[in-house]
Amino acid sequence: MAGLTMRGLHKRYGETHVLKGIDLEVDNGEYLVLVGPSGCGKSTLLRCLAGLEEISEGDLLIGERRVNDVLPGKRNVAMVFQSYALYPHLTVRQNMGFALKIAKRPTAEIDAAVDKVAEQLELVPLLDRLPGQLSGGQRQRVAMGRAIVRQPDVFLFDEPLSNLDASLRSHMRVELKRLHRRLETTIVHVTHDQVEALTLATRIMVLNLGVVQQVGPPRELFNRPANTFVAQFIGSPSMNILPAQGDEKGIVVDGVDGAIEHHARGPIELGVRPTDFEVTDDGVWSANVDVIERLGAEALLHLELGPHKISVMVNEPTPIEMGQTIRLQPRVLHAFNRDTGVRIPEPAGATS
Amino acid sequence: MSRVKSLSVALGLCLAAAGAVHAQDAAPVELKLWHAYRDSEEQALLEAARVYKEQTGVQVTPIGIAFGAYSSKVETAVPRGNGPDLLIGAHDVLSKWQRLGVVEPAGEDSTAYRAGAGAALELEGKRYGYPLAFKTLVLLYNPELIQDPPTDTDALLAAAKAHTGGGSFGLAYEATAAYYFAPWMHGFGAKISGDDVHLDSPELIAALAFARRVGMDEGIVPKSPTSELMGSLFDEGKAAFVISGPWFAAGRKRAIAAIPLPTVSQTGLPALPFLGVEGVFVAGQAKHPGEAAKFAAWLAGPEGAAIRQELGGQAVAAKDAPPLPDTLETSVIRAVLAQAETAILMPTDPQLPNVWEALEDALRKVMRGAATPEEAAKGAEQYRKVLSRPPPEAANPVPYVVIMVLVGLGALVWLCLPLRDPNVRQEIKNKKVDYLWVFPAAVAMLALVVVPFVAGAAVSLFAHSQGEWTFVGFSNFLNIVLSRDWPVTSPLSFYYTLVVTILWTLTNVFLHVSIGMGLALVLREPWIRLRGVWRALLIVPWAVPNYITALIWKMMFHVQYGAINALLGFGGEPAQIDWFSSFSMAFSANLITNTWLGFPFMMVVTLGALQAIPRDLEEAAELDGAGAWFRFRHVTWPLLKPALLPALVIGSVWTFNMFNVIYLVSGGQPDSSTEILISEAYRWAFKRDLRYGYAAAYAVLIFGVLFVYGRAANKLAGKKVL
Repeated sequence: MAGLTMRGLHKRYGETHVLKGIDLEVDNGEYLVLVGPSGCGKSTLLRCLAGLEEISEGDLLIGERRVNDVLPGKRNVAMVFQSYALYPHLTVRQNMGFALKIAKRPTAEIDAAVDKVAEQLELVPLLDRLPGQLSGGQRQRVAMGRAIVRQPDVFLFDEPLSNLDASLRSHMRVELKRLHRRLETTIVHVTHDQVEALTLATRIMVLNLGVVQQVGPPRELFNRPANTFVAQFIGSPSMNILPAQGDEKGIVVDGVDGAIEHHARGPIELGVRPTDFEVTDDGVWSANVDVIERLGAEALLHLELGPHKISVMVNEPTPIEMGQTIRLQPRVLHAFNRDTGVRIPEPAGATS
Repeated sequence: MSRVKSLSVALGLCLAAAGAVHAQDAAPVELKLWHAYRDSEEQALLEAARVYKEQTGVQVTPIGIAFGAYSSKVETAVPRGNGPDLLIGAHDVLSKWQRLGVVEPAGEDSTAYRAGAGAALELEGKRYGYPLAFKTLVLLYNPELIQDPPTDTDALLAAAKAHTGGGSFGLAYEATAAYYFAPWMHGFGAKISGDDVHLDSPELIAALAFARRVGMDEGIVPKSPTSELMGSLFDEGKAAFVISGPWFAAGRKRAIAAIPLPTVSQTGLPALPFLGVEGVFVAGQAKHPGEAAKFAAWLAGPEGAAIRQELGGQAVAAKDAPPLPDTLETSVIRAVLAQAETAILMPTDPQLPNVWEALEDALRKVMRGAATPEEAAKGAEQYRKVLSRPPPEAANPVPYVVIMVLVGLGALVWLCLPLRDPNVRQEIKNKKVDYLWVFPAAVAMLALVVVPFVAGAAVSLFAHSQGEWTFVGFSNFLNIVLSRDWPVTSPLSFYYTLVVTILWTLTNVFLHVSIGMGLALVLREPWIRLRGVWRALLIVPWAVPNYITALIWKMMFHVQYGAINALLGFGGEPAQIDWFSSFSMAFSANLITNTWLGFPFMMVVTLGALQAIPRDLEEAAELDGAGAWFRFRHVTWPLLKPALLPALVIGSVWTFNMFNVIYLVSGGQPDSSTEILISEAYRWAFKRDLRYGYAAAYAVLIFGVLFVYGRAANKLAGKKVL
């Protein structure tokens, strides 16, 4: 088991600059989730860690060892591919024991290791089947099992849950969490699903266009997004971002009546999560209800706030009807620099 | 107005023509003449036809047919009434043509001919054609190099030696061909036709030894010369003497002279070549036999001879042809005419092809140094005896027919068995329209595959000899399978050839797959630039027709002028590897050629199959610590296998029957040892006295071997691949 260190990591394909200087220390036993929209470079970064892509510039250390020029097979990392990459001509047992077979371990040892992991993952009845005879979820577990058998220093997961249906995915999320608690091995997990990131990670790294946007524990990313990109990417439904002006009287959203007390000054972007509103008659803003999405326990209101469209989450049952005008009070505000999108820090002593 | 004019012209022509043929027949006569002449001889023929039309009004239309296809076309078309009025051919095919009804006895002929040419065209006391010209070997030479041509072989060898060296050769001739060996044979007093032929006679042994001396030991003759090579050597002034015929002299770019062949110094006997007499024949079932005979007599007579001599450069048979001036230009014709007086008329003995085959086999062995003249002559005599053996005794066809009919009925019943099931009948009824759609294809399959197959298989129960078909039952098969004619270790035995064929198939398929797959794997690598260009270039060998490739490789393997030996010389003197003198070298030459032809197919199949293997799998193995070989062995190869296996089976069947490469590159050399089953079958059918039945039995055995192989491959794969 070991941690990971990335120092000024760059990846270029000819003219295309995919990773633009990644710096990060991953502690031993951490569960790091790399998240970002498609094309942000997160898979490329993972493949660089695995050694499947060459690093153009910078250093990569696994534990204390610099591994830039170490072959993938010698890095002692195990990867679970999005497609699972199970060898179709080998049984589950052979798939899981493949790495040990390459390492020329005795057959008895391989069998013991495979049996142990198969038991943990409830794969014992499947050991003699071929991958083609398994369901998607079973294949996913075999892929996990194959990685675990190796007892690697680092696990690399490349969107491991994206091919599963919604209920299986949420089940496997819990499984992964348990697995991590039991193994205490460093995991780097790539996903585009921010729910996966929030639920699994001890730390999340948000990537966009090859640049790190923010790294931190899920709560911090959620509560103090470093910029408008992270603010909108993390949390569902997405944060409302409104152009606004701040002065001594407070913040006034462009084209909307009513000021809210806040320390930010000048032109800003104001962010409010849909869950951070209170519908109350003495609310500062007045908005028209355009559409209501009823989600069961909650309802998502799509509102017209002056010239802006915002969404607000309320608990069900709610008396609000479409076409109605309601008053709102935002409870938690996030202020960002209008030009750079960077968060305007809270004054010292303030709490969020 | 123009119509009126053309009408009057046509009328005038008709009248003139009618007048010319004395108005016997209102319809204008058109005579069709088939020939295999080319270049100046064809020009002369066209000119003669033009002159004849001017004189008589009879239109003669010469139709040229490629030399290689000529006799088979004549022999199939003419007896069925699809032939011309006139044919040109040589005297040695006459008896066959007469038997097939290709030619008719000719009418009056007042022309006198030289050198017994008239008698050459007589059969059973009847005259069959009109002699046109002589074809025989003479000693051609470059008059710039040789002023005083030699008249005996010692002088010839001395003069030739003096002109050898520095890329030049004193003497060029096809030393391993029996036709070119005949003069030495006659010069030592040996005979190969008549009742009492023995190829192991002391005279023939002496002739073989002499041929070896001239062709090899003296080092004056270029190795394995083709007529093209000899032609270019002569044109470049690099060949002082050439033994060849008037055809060689045609179209030379340099002055050429000739004299009759010299006397063999050891015996004092003249080295006499064989003489061919070419004649024009009235075809069987000619439409205008009378007019045809008149034209034939005219063409052979003094007037026609003058045109052929003047324009065609022919050594004409007519005595009354215009005399030839004593100049360099006429030297070759005069030499041919002089040689014709003494040359030995090519025998028409039906056994001759067998003698020829055996003799050439011996000649090649001696030339290669694989056997002494005595050994070779002894082997040749044995070979001749087997070849000339009368066909197997006729068998009673009744039991065979009964068995065949029973088997056929049994098969039919077996095929119809499922019809007992009412469900199957209902199913067929429901899909009546579908079956209707399939019907034309089924009929085509029946006509194009099943019928020829059955007919071919039926031929294997017959023996064919001299145009006679005899039903012999399974004796062809017994002769082959029990190897009755040759020891099993002889290159002519079925088992020897089978082993060679299997070795040939295995080595080829192994190389095709390993090279093709290797290239496909390399072409997939991300660092390869211009991938598309490479891929296209590597497919080219497959796109070129394989006989062209085979001929190019054959030339490249030439011992003296081939590119391969030049390359193996690494910039210095070319290597002197005689690629066709030993089994291993000739087999390698075939193998190299066919590997060149065969790997692109496997490469394309592998490239396609690789597309279907996700890159992830190999990456997963790479992460698991697998090296390149382990990845290939345990991941890529097992996944390629299912796609490659059908290609492997198809490839091996193609290779098993790869006639073109064997026939064109090694030609079975040395001593038929590199022959594979299919080319061996071809030789039995077309080169060894037309033993169609024997060859068909080979073909049936080939089918059997491949059938068993296909079944075994299916079993091995655990699923149907064919």
